[in-house]
Amino acid sequence: MMSLYDKIFKPKVYTLSNGKQVSQKRSRMPVILILTVAAILISAKVTGFSLTVLVSRISYFFVMLKDMFPPDLSYMARVWAPLWDTIKMSLLGSVIGALLCIPFALLASTNLVKNKVVTAIVKFMFSLVRTLPTLVAALIATYIFGLGTLAGTVAIAVFTFAYCGKILYENIETVEMGSYEALGALGCHPLSCIRYSILPQVLPTYLSTVLFCFEGNVRYASILGYVGAGGLGLILNEKIGWREYDRVGMILIALFITVVVIESLSQWLRSKLS
Amino acid sequence: MLPFLLKSEFHFPREKLITGDKIMINFKNVGKVYPNGTVGLKDVNLTINDGEFIAIIGRSGAGKSTLIRAINKMHSVTSGTLLVDDVDVRTIDGKQLRKLRRKIGMIFQSFNLVTRTTVIKNVLTGFVPDLPFYRSIFGIFPQEMKIKALEALDKVGILDKAYIRVDQLSGGQQQRVALARTLAQNPKVILADEPVAALDPVTAKQVMDDFLHINQEMGITVLINIHHVELALEYATRVIGIKEGQIIYDGPSNKVDDDVLSQIYGQKDGNDEPIR
Repeated sequence: MMSLYDKIFKPKVYTLSNGKQVSQKRSRMPVILILTVAAILISAKVTGFSLTVLVSRISYFFVMLKDMFPPDLSYMARVWAPLWDTIKMSLLGSVIGALLCIPFALLASTNLVKNKVVTAIVKFMFSLVRTLPTLVAALIATYIFGLGTLAGTVAIAVFTFAYCGKILYENIETVEMGSYEALGALGCHPLSCIRYSILPQVLPTYLSTVLFCFEGNVRYASILGYVGAGGLGLILNEKIGWREYDRVGMILIALFITVVVIESLSQWLRSKLS
Repeated sequence: MLPFLLKSEFHFPREKLITGDKIMINFKNVGKVYPNGTVGLKDVNLTINDGEFIAIIGRSGAGKSTLIRAINKMHSVTSGTLLVDDVDVRTIDGKQLRKLRRKIGMIFQSFNLVTRTTVIKNVLTGFVPDLPFYRSIFGIFPQEMKIKALEALDKVGILDKAYIRVDQLSGGQQQRVALARTLAQNPKVILADEPVAALDPVTAKQVMDDFLHINQEMGITVLINIHHVELALEYATRVIGIKEGQIIYDGPSNKVDDDVLSQIYGQKDGNDEPIR
């Protein structure tokens, strides 16, 4: 197809002073540009995107925003409990997921497990779990474990498991294997080789990944309440439904401060790790 | 009293063999064919006594590494019998193999240390197989092991580097850390696979001195694969020459002359210049 392109749009030929000729193929940029614009137009059509609606309705956003201020400070007393639920859900879920992924990440690493079938199955399992959005996982979990924070914890653990597991096995596969070989040669059990050769090499990156994941999980956990999985989302959904925007404002401010605090804490810890 | 401390008294090649009578390693008609059909070793017969210092020389791909790695079953052989400390290496695996490997130290060309941790932690890994399970998991080493590890570092002269990260050391220092790790396991035999190939000539000599020191003082059998013929002849008491998987010279290092070297290193196309 591309050679056809070159037949239609002849390459540009430069002739040097000694008579040698160099031909430069015509740029593909116009074609790419046309395809991109077409794709954008089709997407706008399909999704019903309308600039006029956007412009005419955007003022309602500011009406809502205005209603949030001043926030109802007295409502804060009722925010604490679900806020703690959110933090507990993300912390516990992150820890469980991060610990659970370790044995599976080891099984998925081609440099540790020579059996290609095993590594392929475990890797496939990881990518399968990763395709599951946290919100969907939470919804399924509420059907299994009932409404409440347990479902949220499970959903976050599932996401953390898949995310940290993938990064961990990719990290293990790039590890320098010389020391692993040396420990095997001096009579270490394969598990000891992992403990004393692989672990020190991957630990800083692993901890950093887990902290990063925990950071994101705090944000995810705050919306899980929408599907009944406990935490801030529960009251957020309720207050938006009742149009109590001053209380919504209070919830959002509490969430914002929490996320900022946890993110800066985690960033500080991660900077210590590297 | 300690001749290795007085470098000037140390003239090579040495005639004196400080070897025991016990057979440490015994190859009987050993052969190795790789899964892709490449012949690694062919009909190797070799007897190595306790306390010997042996250099194995030969061109790249001649089978030096295969020979050395067969001894601790890092590579398994495909025919013949191979006895190491009276154990038939071909018949064991798992726990028994790990038990045998405890007695065999190994030194590598690229040092194979965990470069992201400290020197002392690397040396302590030499004790890991002796730890009970709970200690191994948490990495808690008893006091006496720490002392032994520090003593091993002292033996190779880098005690002051104990708490420094390995990636901050020079190549020669890293190879000494590897030697200390090997000493920590208190081996009967040390196998060294091109231990000085990545080092400059001066450092290479220092590391070879360490090997000699260990061989003489502690009576540990040393087998070294080495490309530097001068170093091989200078330090080893016995030289084994390998070509195309077969042993074509096995004798004292002072009997190795240009003839022997051109046999070992000579090329098929008639260019018989020894590489020295």
